[in-house]
Amino acid sequence: MSQTLARPVSNLIELLSRLPGIGPKTASRLTFYLLREPNGLAEALSTALAALSVGTVLCQRCFNIAEQSPCPICADLSRDQTLICVVEEPMDVLAIERTGAYRGIYHILHGALSPIDGVYPEKLRIAELMERVRVGEPREVILATNPSLEGENTAAYIYQQLQTSGVSITRLARGLPVGGDLEYTDEVTLSRALEGRRSM
Amino acid sequence: MRLNHLSLTNFRNYARLELGLSDRLTVFQGANAQGKTNLLEAIHLLATGRSPRVGAERELINWLALESSLPYARLVAEIGAAGDAPTERLEVVLELARTPAPGGGGGNGPVVRKQVRINGVPKRGLDLIGRLRVVLFLPEDVSLVAGAPTERRRYLDIALCQISASYCRALGEYNKVLSQRNALLRRLRDEGGDSGQLAFWDDQAAEHGSVLLQRRAHAVSELNRLAAERQRDLTGGAERLQLGYLPSPDPAKVIASRSATGGDRFAFETAAREQTAGWLLAHLRATRGRDVAAGSSLSGPHRDDMAFTVEGHDLRTFGSRGQQRTAALALKLAEVQMMREATGDMPLLLLDDVMSELDAIRRRTLLDALAQVDQALVTTTDWDDFTPELLAQARRWQVAQGALERVTA
Repeated sequence: MSQTLARPVSNLIELLSRLPGIGPKTASRLTFYLLREPNGLAEALSTALAALSVGTVLCQRCFNIAEQSPCPICADLSRDQTLICVVEEPMDVLAIERTGAYRGIYHILHGALSPIDGVYPEKLRIAELMERVRVGEPREVILATNPSLEGENTAAYIYQQLQTSGVSITRLARGLPVGGDLEYTDEVTLSRALEGRRSM
Repeated sequence: MRLNHLSLTNFRNYARLELGLSDRLTVFQGANAQGKTNLLEAIHLLATGRSPRVGAERELINWLALESSLPYARLVAEIGAAGDAPTERLEVVLELARTPAPGGGGGNGPVVRKQVRINGVPKRGLDLIGRLRVVLFLPEDVSLVAGAPTERRRYLDIALCQISASYCRALGEYNKVLSQRNALLRRLRDEGGDSGQLAFWDDQAAEHGSVLLQRRAHAVSELNRLAAERQRDLTGGAERLQLGYLPSPDPAKVIASRSATGGDRFAFETAAREQTAGWLLAHLRATRGRDVAAGSSLSGPHRDDMAFTVEGHDLRTFGSRGQQRTAALALKLAEVQMMREATGDMPLLLLDDVMSELDAIRRRTLLDALAQVDQALVTTTDWDDFTPELLAQARRWQVAQGALERVTA
């Protein structure tokens, strides 16, 4: 960063541009916006940022990011505690919660198996899942990893590990998006949808 | 389909070029290093998504443009089917991105970003392939016979991708699976661990690899039939050329195949795709220990090869340079025919200065082939490589330092 900028300004630009999806241009625009913004957004932001690491913990049951352990979802006894939905990231929990159609609990792996990226089973919360299944004896584990190569690999691996536990294991269905158009669906999705067809 | 118009911006030594190509035959003449090959390279890139010349992609961008603040190259082809079908506009933009590597580090310097648009709509690179089908003849084609197996696989892949989108997809998936599988094998070799993690990658490799094995087996047997005919024309019936597919794993050598098929030799030509997948999977499982010890996938279609023999002699080792050149030419001519039979449409022929390398009889065979195609673009250093009759039918351009000038008379 050039000498002409005040050190705090150039520091913030440099830090912001390290964030995913933010280039140097956006970083400087954000910085100058915060500098001029009158309503104390910068202060509020700095408090929020500080609280991010201090105020959050990993739920020791499902490994979601929460304010305390167990997290509100695990602590909610009105939810079906024998139904575990396995997802890759905390954001996936939000997506499933938005449906309002799921009343079980979760297990967050924090990633997907990918040898190229050096992500092996011990880097994910897979052993913890095995332990939960062994101790808790849930009736069903739903594998809701992404339908990507890595997500499928992760699901296949967990399935292989859980096979002997006697728990019922299901995988999210793959198929056509609601409101979509058959004509414009790509061949892979469509052939998966055909494979997974159901009787009416 | 036909290529009607080519437009280049900052591509190699062309700062700007607008070229109408409505004629059946176009000949570009010029001294060496004037930009003749660059024209064919641009068309090849628009047809297949990649340059036939391997090397750094940033060299594709005009070196003067590289100095500017936003270095880019743009290639546009307008193609049209016969009759009144609407034209399509294929566009490839190569941009030199100066974005540093993620993590804020210095990175590996600038990278070339490739963007594809079809009729103005952004698409994946995969969607480009197969819209404009080309067969490119180069003086260095001889290395298809004499060179390393990679060159023959690359050749087969480019030809088959242009014919079949599902082959292209299977190839992409297979390569992704293979790098994951190899990364895992390396780790299992170096640090040990649960080899059960391979199960998924074995399944996937068998699933996509079986597509490659079967399509390649089929294609090589087609090419064998067609190339034998072309070879007869090229040598006046003196030599019988045979192409053989050398798959990996090879059913002729694999013991696992006997148990899987009940004693008979496994044949890709007669097996259903699922059977081939099952056979490949059985082989991958049976040889897992070997793969782990090596830390990489020792067998699979990524190790395929193709053999050229004349009267039982392997041309790669025993062929003369002339024989190798003839076999490569027969192969390319066979590819033209194969594409036509598979798609019902003649590919566009791109001939890069190949005439000067050939003797009279081979030249005549090639000119016969030219007479049969819907469209061909040819480069040469010397007008005398062609008969006056042929030149009379062609639109002629002189190429000098990245500029074209129409030649009449």
